[in-house]
Amino acid sequence: MPTAARDEDRILRFWTPILLRTILIAASVILLVGLVLMATQSPGNYARRYHAAQTAHFPEKMSFTELVSTAAHGDPHSLMTVGLFVLTLVPLARVAFCFLLFIKERDYAYVGFTAYVLTGLVLGILLGRIG
Amino acid sequence: MLKILGGLLALAFGAGFIGSLSGLGGGVFIVPALVIVAHMPMTVAIGASLISVVATSAGASVAFVRDGWTNLKVAMVLECATVTGAVAGALLAGKIPAVVLELLFALMMLQSAYFSLRKQGDDLVEHGDPLARRLELVGDVPDESGKLAHYEIVNLPAGSALMVVAGLMSGLLGIGSGALKVMAMDYFMHVPLKVSSATSNFMIGVTAGAGALVFLARGDVFTSIAAPVALGVTAGALIGSRILPHANVRALRMVFVVILLLIAIEMGWRAFNGI
Repeated sequence: MPTAARDEDRILRFWTPILLRTILIAASVILLVGLVLMATQSPGNYARRYHAAQTAHFPEKMSFTELVSTAAHGDPHSLMTVGLFVLTLVPLARVAFCFLLFIKERDYAYVGFTAYVLTGLVLGILLGRIG
Repeated sequence: MLKILGGLLALAFGAGFIGSLSGLGGGVFIVPALVIVAHMPMTVAIGASLISVVATSAGASVAFVRDGWTNLKVAMVLECATVTGAVAGALLAGKIPAVVLELLFALMMLQSAYFSLRKQGDDLVEHGDPLARRLELVGDVPDESGKLAHYEIVNLPAGSALMVVAGLMSGLLGIGSGALKVMAMDYFMHVPLKVSSATSNFMIGVTAGAGALVFLARGDVFTSIAAPVALGVTAGALIGSRILPHANVRALRMVFVVILLLIAIEMGWRAFNGI
């Protein structure tokens, strides 16, 4: 196997897989619970949403607070949406972790690279909201 | 409802499975599967695919990073380029007609087919570019005899430029653009093929994540489609990666190439006929 001598690399190789796996499992569990609830509680609702997708008839948008609140009350659709959000946290969390580690190690070139990527990800959210 | 959901899960599982076995990722198979088989509009398929690509990248990266195949520093430098392209691509995807997206998709499938055929051995460089050396873009990889061989990197600007294109295609089409990323690293930058594949897989999470965040923030993701697709593709990719070490990948390669060409023809046909 390839070797890497630096501490920085060793820390990254130890913690990154743990971070990736933890968020992936958490998101999968939320998605699975939402899907099972949807299948058991409101199967007709699912079929309706599926056909709406085929005609690109987008559902009404809700605020993030509304989404979290309805998910907390066990709404299957909101739960699945939260699961998707958690899933997209994987890259954000991974880059944020690297950013903090590079600051600690005073590796400023890589602080710059990871800061750029983080900015790009956050900018994507902001620009997406604007449309 | 169970019939629809079961069908969608099976479709996603199949795409993830083939994507994992072919090394091309689930995106290039799930988008056409959703468009052609499930009759979903291109934008719905792209949104769902981007999220599933994030999941499969994370799943596959765990072992690659832990075992040292992923060159983390190369990934972090090149991610600057792919994120730039991906955010731009995802923003444009909402404004570009589906016909153009289908045509671009067909072209990307042809590139993937070409890439699958031309996979060759490593061409290692011992002395990289000064810029790459300054950024410590180096590594060691075992050769055929198991002895560690040192490699360095050249053509960082050209590789980065191709990564912007790979990111753009990812955001526009909902794919990981793994074939293009590996080609940029392996062919232009002389990164060993297996390191290129592992590093590309790692970068795909951030590239597709950038696109997925734009789609999610814009409200362009159909949860009812994206959730089962993400679960199905991830499960398919997981099973595929377990079978991969025992499969005759060389023999399967021609099958994948034929599938890619058929999808390219179908997507091209749809574009030209405005379906």
